[in-house]
Amino acid sequence: MSLAISALEYISNVKNGTTTAEEFIAKTLDRISKHESKVHAFISINENALEQARAIDKKIKSKEKVGAFYGMPISIKDNISVKDGKTTCASKMLQEYVSPYDATVVTKLKSQDAILIGKANLDEFAMGIATEFSAFGPSKNPWNTDYVPGGSSGGSAASVSALECVASLGSDTGGSVRNPASFCSVVGLKPTYGLVSRYGLVSYANSIEQIGPIARRVEDVALLLNHISGRDANDNTTIDGKNQDYLGEIGSGIQDKKIGVIKEMSRGAGLDKNVESAFWRAVDSFEKLGAKIEEMSLDMVEFTVATYYVLTTAEAGSNLSRYDNIRYGYQMDLEGYEFKSYISKARKNFGPEVTRRMILGGFVPSAGFAGKYLLKALKVKSKLKRQVLEAFKKFDFLISPTVPILPFRFGEKVDDPLAMYMADINTVTANLTGVPAISVPFEIHNGLPIGIQIHANTLQEKQLLQAAYALQGTTSLPGAPL
Amino acid sequence: MVTKEDIEHVAKLMRIDIDNADEHFERIQKIMNYFDILDKADIESEEIPVQEVTIGELREDKYIPFESKLITNLKNYKGTFVRAPKMN
Amino acid sequence: MIGLEIHCQLTNLQSKLFCSCKANYREFEPNTNLCPVCMGLPGSLPRLNQKAVEKASMIAMALNCKTPQRLGFFRKNYFYPDLPKNFQITQLNMYGPTSIGDQGKVSIEGKDIRIRRIQLEEDPGRLIYEGASERTQITLVDYNRAGTPLVEIVTEPDFDNPRQVRIFLNILSDLLENLGVSDPTLEGAMRADANVSIEGGLRVEVKNIGSFHDLEKAIHFELTRQQSLAERGIPVAQETRHWDDKRKITISSRSKEEDEDYRYILEGDIPWVVLDSKSIEKWRGSMPESISSKKERYITKYNIPVQVADVLSSDKYYSDLFEQAHTESNAKEIANMITTDLMGLVDTREKREQSKLSPKHLSDLIEIINNGKVTRSSAKNALQEIVKTGKSVSEIVSQTGLAKISDEGELGKIITEIMSQEPTAVQQARENPQTINYLVGKVMQKTKGTADPTLTLKILKEKIST
Ligand SMILES: [Zn+2]
Repeated sequence: MSLAISALEYISNVKNGTTTAEEFIAKTLDRISKHESKVHAFISINENALEQARAIDKKIKSKEKVGAFYGMPISIKDNISVKDGKTTCASKMLQEYVSPYDATVVTKLKSQDAILIGKANLDEFAMGIATEFSAFGPSKNPWNTDYVPGGSSGGSAASVSALECVASLGSDTGGSVRNPASFCSVVGLKPTYGLVSRYGLVSYANSIEQIGPIARRVEDVALLLNHISGRDANDNTTIDGKNQDYLGEIGSGIQDKKIGVIKEMSRGAGLDKNVESAFWRAVDSFEKLGAKIEEMSLDMVEFTVATYYVLTTAEAGSNLSRYDNIRYGYQMDLEGYEFKSYISKARKNFGPEVTRRMILGGFVPSAGFAGKYLLKALKVKSKLKRQVLEAFKKFDFLISPTVPILPFRFGEKVDDPLAMYMADINTVTANLTGVPAISVPFEIHNGLPIGIQIHANTLQEKQLLQAAYALQGTTSLPGAPL
Repeated sequence: MVTKEDIEHVAKLMRIDIDNADEHFERIQKIMNYFDILDKADIESEEIPVQEVTIGELREDKYIPFESKLITNLKNYKGTFVRAPKMN
Repeated sequence: MIGLEIHCQLTNLQSKLFCSCKANYREFEPNTNLCPVCMGLPGSLPRLNQKAVEKASMIAMALNCKTPQRLGFFRKNYFYPDLPKNFQITQLNMYGPTSIGDQGKVSIEGKDIRIRRIQLEEDPGRLIYEGASERTQITLVDYNRAGTPLVEIVTEPDFDNPRQVRIFLNILSDLLENLGVSDPTLEGAMRADANVSIEGGLRVEVKNIGSFHDLEKAIHFELTRQQSLAERGIPVAQETRHWDDKRKITISSRSKEEDEDYRYILEGDIPWVVLDSKSIEKWRGSMPESISSKKERYITKYNIPVQVADVLSSDKYYSDLFEQAHTESNAKEIANMITTDLMGLVDTREKREQSKLSPKHLSDLIEIINNGKVTRSSAKNALQEIVKTGKSVSEIVSQTGLAKISDEGELGKIITEIMSQEPTAVQQARENPQTINYLVGKVMQKTKGTADPTLTLKILKEKIST
């Protein structure tokens, strides 16, 4: 029995008795213990996974009602709360923090008999594109461990790519699901803002981020979305997605669909030549699938990286204020400090990138700077959204390379934050406008994956997944050579 | 233009001790200079983008106690009080 | 000039502003009225209380404020151990009017006090300081209060003196009680800071004032302090001062190392709430009658004297009793009974809570007075008994012999007895008929008020003149 199977295959195998949850989980744990030293996709592993698998097998045997996932192993980014386990956000500030509650998505997965195999590594508080900023060490790209797996959901993507689980949940604030999906050659979806509850997701920039599924196959992402989406009374920002079945009719194809190529993301100086040529081959594939292709322009894209970092640092500065080490956190004696000096010392435990964004987040909304930065960023966001919604009157999908560059080596960008930020240019638009976007593996160039990004209009995930599925059908990619 | 003193001041305001103000200064200045690109955007007439809900979508006023005693999850407590550093 | 910032808890709600923990935190052991939301745990999100919006909006309407089309929330960022998230979710009008109300006014003694803004926000937790000296002192925090729904009312600097402030706060307190949104008598349910300045001077903010009584004192102190500085030619600095409860003076808060900068940002976790006109009208319609309108109605409709109407309308407990007990014909008498006989019996919160009196008791009492079964003074005694025991009026009358003595023979015997005990008074009454009241009083005393006063006087007069 292979671990390199899709979620749908796993479920049918367990249903028809080809394998058991226990067998699959045991093999998965074996794989994890063999490869974790190389990949480091996880921060913690579920100690009770085998036991939980046996319980599910027992339910199957005794013909009890079994949840949709039949004990399938899923990894969870470690900024999503799982009750009674550590939720560290890959930060020293939360290295001892134990959540007393489950995130809504976790409650939903548990109720469908998924096994949460472990908590996946990330950039500290999800700020980064390489997992280099994890306080517990970086995750490695299973395609080449000298290279970054992308980020911030790098552990999630790496764990899926390395066959350490079947699927994963990441979070995407500016591309944090799609970027590592692209770098690790897996599928990653950023849903419409509000389609998936954020309750239990540790906020970084709460007005634009979403939890998103990562898997090796588009249909698996659709299956996960079926089970994690929906309105939640615990999250006032969730919206009615009409409980669609994203998996049904996924093979409908994209005949006669209109696809816009976003010029600002698909040509130009910052775009790697190999990524660019792969992208245009993908455009050809879409055309062969019967879609109508046209280049189009979103002139606000020029301002999106600045806008994204102004908005996210302002929100992060506020969201991360609560980590003062008084109510929870790590061990540090109170004696000898007054409040201000205590928390200033305690917060020294934030890593360099978080500290940098805290300082930026102190500037941009401050009385002297808010009009120059924050207000303008909000207005760009508003205009960009109008432009994108206008474009969707004409096009069914808008496409671009997911990331303008190939996976890079560790340390290559760590000293130049601005250059690193520029790599977000293709992904932040979906977050700033709230529309869904997906990254689909398309090519491997010199052993490094390249993904294609497709956007659809608000709540058009069903159509988006159909397009992604069609593109996936044109490819035949190997698994990670681990 | 952001000065090194500004960085130190803001770090203080954000309650983070920093030892490497020089390094932060160089990088943050570069980033903030980049933010100036926003001055070029033609956005004067734009509204502030916000999500909306109706009154009916708000939470019903009902007392439901949390399932577990949170205090046991907290650190630094005395009796059932949370301990904090002295104020000054 | 004086301006106020008044914080009023919506004590009558069931749950906190953003979570389902109890709004009335007073009944809990420290840190036992908590959940991930009000503790600001990682990943928790605020869920706005519908009723809090409704009640806060009613306060705004009652203070003649404008209601915004959409309600927006913002984060006020500052670090303090009583704030679990190190920011407070509050409201302001940063991007247009999104606060629950603005531009209101209240008229006191013919002067308009303008309300600048009303905002719905969360209360922080409570700090307790422990330890003998500064060196050994530690801070203890109880987060039970964190997240309690709070309405902040910000006035323009329209008060001329502390007395106007007192009148305003009394009106406000009555208004909140009348709306049924808050019990201002609960400890900490209403708190106020003051902004004080004199002609040509800068604004001084006075904080940490424990009671309204002290508020008046603090304002008075601050005005005097600023005037004496001005007289000596010393400019008044713009600053925040704290009220020292023990020494009854204001002291300058330590000069801040950094400027206060709250870095206000939108609270993205709470979408803006569309206040549709249908809901607003529904709320307006369900608002209880205002105090001034009640008073007006009592005077014009029932011919109740102004002072009585004043007392009756401004106290929700009394006016509720009145509304339920009165009919077209007995209104004036019910009003009198409440404001003269009942008042002393239920003048505290505890007494009101323990009282067994129902509106029916009042109307029954008036009825038996009117049909001549008991005297007014007997009725007063009965009232005392009712408040204590809740017994029905008929039960009390039959058990305790409060029924009026209107039998001429029986009353005559008692009067004869008293006249024999009080020969001097009888003599005086013969010489000066007005002093006969002394003897009437004695009869009432003897009969515990059950003697028919008209009959007593008639018999007394007859007996004295013979
Ligand atoms: Zn709570």
